[in-house]
Amino acid sequence: MGTATLLKDPYNLIITGVGGQGNVLASRVLGNLLADKGFSITIGETFGASQRGGSVMSHMRISAEASWSPQIPQGKADMIVALEPVEALRVLHTYGHPGIKIISNTRSIYPVGVISGDQKYPSMDELKKTIEELSEKTWFIDATSAAMELGHPIFGNIMMVGALAKTGVLPIDRDSFEKVILRTMGKEKTPVNLKAFDMGAEMIN
Amino acid sequence: MKLFAQTQLLEDVQGKGLCVGCGACVDLCPYFTTYRGKTAMLFPCDRETGRCFAYCPKAEVDYDAVYQFRTGRPFQGTPIGPHIEVFKARAGEKQTECSFQCGGTVTALISCALDNKIINGAVLTGSDERMPKPMLVRTADQAQQCAGSKYSASPTLAVMNKEAKRGVRKMGIVATPCQATAIAQMKMNPTDKEDFEDPVSLVIGLFCTWALDARKLEALLEEKGIQGTIIKADVPPPPAEVFVVETDQGVTEIPLSEVRKIIPEGCSICPDMTSELADISVGQVEGETGYNTLIVRTEKGAELVKMARSQGYLVTENLDGDKVHNLAQASGNKKKRALAQAQEKGLLNTPDDAGRAAMRMSQDALNKIQP
Amino acid sequence: MSQLYEGKKGEKCLFMGNQAIARGALEAGVSVAAGYPGTPSSEIIENLAEVSKETNLYVEWSTNEKIAAEVAAAASFAGLRSMCVMKQNGVNVASDFLLHLVLSGTRGGMVLVPCDDPGALSSINEGEARHFAKLLEIPLLEPGDFQEAKDMMKWAFELSEEIRNLVMFRSVTRLSHASGSVELGEIPQTDPKAQFNYNGFILDPMEGPIVSAPVAYKHGLQQDKLKKAQELFEVSPFNTYVGPENPEILLITSSGATLYSREAIQLCNAKDKVGLLKLGTTFPLPAKLIEKHLKTTDKILVVEEVLPFMEENLKVLAQELAPRVGQKTFFGKRSGNIPITGELNPDLVATALAGILGQTYAPQNPEYTTKATQQAFFNAPTRDLTFCPGCPHRASFWSIHNVLAEDNREGFVCGDIGCYSMAFLPSGFSTLKTLHAMGSGTGVASGFGKLGQFGLNQPVVSVCGDSTFFHSGMPALVNAIHHKSDITMVILDNSGTGMTGFQSHPGLAVDAQGNEAPALDIPTICRAFGATVEICDPFYPFKTQQIFHRLLEMPGVKVLIMRQICALSPEKKRKKAFEMSVDKEICLGENCGCNKLCTRVFRCPGLRWDDETKVATIDEVICAGCGMCAAICPSGAITRKEAA
Repeated sequence: MGTATLLKDPYNLIITGVGGQGNVLASRVLGNLLADKGFSITIGETFGASQRGGSVMSHMRISAEASWSPQIPQGKADMIVALEPVEALRVLHTYGHPGIKIISNTRSIYPVGVISGDQKYPSMDELKKTIEELSEKTWFIDATSAAMELGHPIFGNIMMVGALAKTGVLPIDRDSFEKVILRTMGKEKTPVNLKAFDMGAEMIN
Repeated sequence: MKLFAQTQLLEDVQGKGLCVGCGACVDLCPYFTTYRGKTAMLFPCDRETGRCFAYCPKAEVDYDAVYQFRTGRPFQGTPIGPHIEVFKARAGEKQTECSFQCGGTVTALISCALDNKIINGAVLTGSDERMPKPMLVRTADQAQQCAGSKYSASPTLAVMNKEAKRGVRKMGIVATPCQATAIAQMKMNPTDKEDFEDPVSLVIGLFCTWALDARKLEALLEEKGIQGTIIKADVPPPPAEVFVVETDQGVTEIPLSEVRKIIPEGCSICPDMTSELADISVGQVEGETGYNTLIVRTEKGAELVKMARSQGYLVTENLDGDKVHNLAQASGNKKKRALAQAQEKGLLNTPDDAGRAAMRMSQDALNKIQP
Repeated sequence: MSQLYEGKKGEKCLFMGNQAIARGALEAGVSVAAGYPGTPSSEIIENLAEVSKETNLYVEWSTNEKIAAEVAAAASFAGLRSMCVMKQNGVNVASDFLLHLVLSGTRGGMVLVPCDDPGALSSINEGEARHFAKLLEIPLLEPGDFQEAKDMMKWAFELSEEIRNLVMFRSVTRLSHASGSVELGEIPQTDPKAQFNYNGFILDPMEGPIVSAPVAYKHGLQQDKLKKAQELFEVSPFNTYVGPENPEILLITSSGATLYSREAIQLCNAKDKVGLLKLGTTFPLPAKLIEKHLKTTDKILVVEEVLPFMEENLKVLAQELAPRVGQKTFFGKRSGNIPITGELNPDLVATALAGILGQTYAPQNPEYTTKATQQAFFNAPTRDLTFCPGCPHRASFWSIHNVLAEDNREGFVCGDIGCYSMAFLPSGFSTLKTLHAMGSGTGVASGFGKLGQFGLNQPVVSVCGDSTFFHSGMPALVNAIHHKSDITMVILDNSGTGMTGFQSHPGLAVDAQGNEAPALDIPTICRAFGATVEICDPFYPFKTQQIFHRLLEMPGVKVLIMRQICALSPEKKRKKAFEMSVDKEICLGENCGCNKLCTRVFRCPGLRWDDETKVATIDEVICAGCGMCAAICPSGAITRKEAA
């Protein structure tokens, strides 16, 4: 068992986004990192058909003691990391409560119903306001734009991990992150991911 | 003119089986297309007004407005419509022989217009095996390839729309009465399109009592075992009561009663036999092969005829008074019959609370047609 | 995933359920693994294929599930440990062979691993494989967490060898596709040799020929094997109980529902009142163990996914035991306490439990819930499934739809399983009019194509993916040709098993293990069958539609192969063929002549409609650069430039 302690046990984290944004990868990296620290981790994921334009959610249960269900009960999420802002709101609806914290990317990905004009996508101001009203603390960061600077929007997921680390809600440090990336993605991809991690961290103040 | 869009067009025309496949709604947008003689809708369009509805000759045609626009007077209901002169005509010596239906007048006029650059191109109907194939031709030689009546409905206006979209202007078009009506509506720019430019500068109308559904005609010919390439089709004057098909392998007669079954429903409410909204109208001469009846309707039409005559494209003669009389009678009868049909179906001057009409016209004109 | 193979005994790893299953098989010394891709099962074979590069292991993506079962059975007959892996629907396909196999028996341990999909998260039905265990008369094991997924797998092989028959090991999406901590065991360094013995006496299970006859004898034997399994189940460490000695309610559960039930008891603060009996061996039920627990209480809540399989078996058993344990009250699906369809979660179980306990379970603050519901309703537009940006299927169905509409004879398309199933939705222009099992599109079309004598004169089209073609499309095509059916079969060839993650299939030059393999050429096969075959690229819609129109006019069986690599394929991913742009001056927008064809109708996720400027735009983040929107734009406002 590691020396780190949790603010709450189990600590319930939801990483949400849209198929193709790499949130499964983000949850694996985080899960491995925290497992290395001796925590018992359960991750529940929905993917497959959902990759095709649908919402993709990873539920992570972090505990010093036990294995928890791969689905977080309603109203019991402690932190939401949203790679897409409307997905943050969608998750709040089921898993939120007044004490919840949120880090959300501000780059929207339009659902096909919005593209076709059948549905409306809210303005970012409206969305931010709504999300703020429904949570205790929010951080909005433009991870996608920063990721584009790094060469590809996919790096947004690792930026969000860096941002999460900076908030201090979980014992995530740069060294352990580097170790996991090195192990799972190899030497070649480590520097750019570290850079993404740092850029994400810098966006939290 | 009452403006609607795709939804209403589908309901009023396709839904009621009135579509004659003229092509007026095709290729204005990605939603209407034509294939093997039939107009098809690819995807719904949710606009409230559209050119598809506005151009359609079977949907809310305001006869007074369109006649006023084209001829300077509201619709009068006269048997052969507004005109300047009526002749008997045939191709002149400048026109080479080809497979004319009658006197070759249409081909001669188009050739003259093309050669003199009165038009940049002509939208005509050729054949692709047994399907009518409208096309834009640029030379008199190409025009001759399209000579001869097709008898099946052809989506000629689809080509007009397509070429107009590509920027072609000064087109001449050989049109059936329904198509001449659609073109007249198009010329009015009914949807007030800001960048509208009329792409058509000459309309040669054809006499038409009905056309045949292209796919059904193809099936009928096959059913009758008619082989070979079709050279010509014709309906000889009564009391013959047959449809004559001439192919390179021989001539076959099909009883008219069988042919009538494949006339599109939409033809039954058409009050126009002589393409009254054209610049010039051309048809058969009763009892005479080798000649056409020629009705000159507009100044532009008169000028072209004059030029064609002087340059040897066309020869004109006087048409006997009794033949004019008979033409007027046949034409008047078609009006009477069609409007009675339309009335019976609730498609004429339909009151607002009862839905939309196919045609609207003044009571005065109606009284003239149906005393 | 080298950890899967190199992880040492005692090491703790965060494993996906499917990795845990694969590791369990490795620890059991599995030699042969065969399967057909299907969510949520695919990663088991994928992970083993990866490991096969490091150790003597044969792994294949078989042509279909029946063949996967046959390939695995051969290994068992030769004395090796083997497994076959599939999603629940795969068991339907394999069942014909399996029903024979369970009579003939097995030699080396053989485990059938179906992964069910409660809630149909990635399926078009909720069918479950557990009922097959009963039908096949074989033991059924269901792991309740990630550790068990590994540990029970090893035990499943031992059990199979103990009874010399097939064992079913059933997983579900929330185990297969969830991850948890797993403590590793040892991978044995053995070198098993394969030898098929058949010279012994016909009834000798290890030395004679392997046949299902004489049936009466073998069927009796099969039942004996099941009894033996039941005896072993009585003492299985995978059946556990936690709770008071005499609970107010005995909650009996298994599989993924175990984790929900455990959490639900905590959510209800009911540790003192509720006992949790978790069964890892769910068919046949361990009668003595059940008897012991039934004696401790009168109220029993059964929690399982999806249908009341365990509940019904328990009720039969309880009736038999009634003279000794008394009459019990059962709560579960049949009583309506637990939903009879769909997947479960901790909240659903907690609600059921609270109801029986006479409590209320209110997970969220009602005021907050009302506000959140309202906000989500107004501001969180739903995300309907759609083809990916750059997906060739969108382009293919665009052409199929338009040609059938133009053709105007009420032609229709029969479909089956793959990403292209989504073509019944607006994203595929609602083109599919029938949708059933793998290969069924062409089979159903073959039938429609024979209805001409009864007056059906609508053009009949089927669609079939490249992997599906080999799986079960070929027999359907053969049927259509032999019976002179009038159909056009469109093979949507995207060079891989796209939906499940690019697994290889017989049409590709590579196998599951990454070895070079002879690729079977689909057009050549179809031509050899006697079909008229054309090939086109759906990203060129004009040409595609021309060819398709021509084929539709022809009588007999025609095959049109629409060939274009999947946008997500490793080959293509993140590489744009074109840089797309929209000329705002030319874009017709909502005007007559276009009315937002690209966004309103074509609906590619890479496009956006700018409501302020009233023009279409390209979403640079999403656009895959396939160029299709330029091909369909009626005004030429969308242009493509070859990407650098």
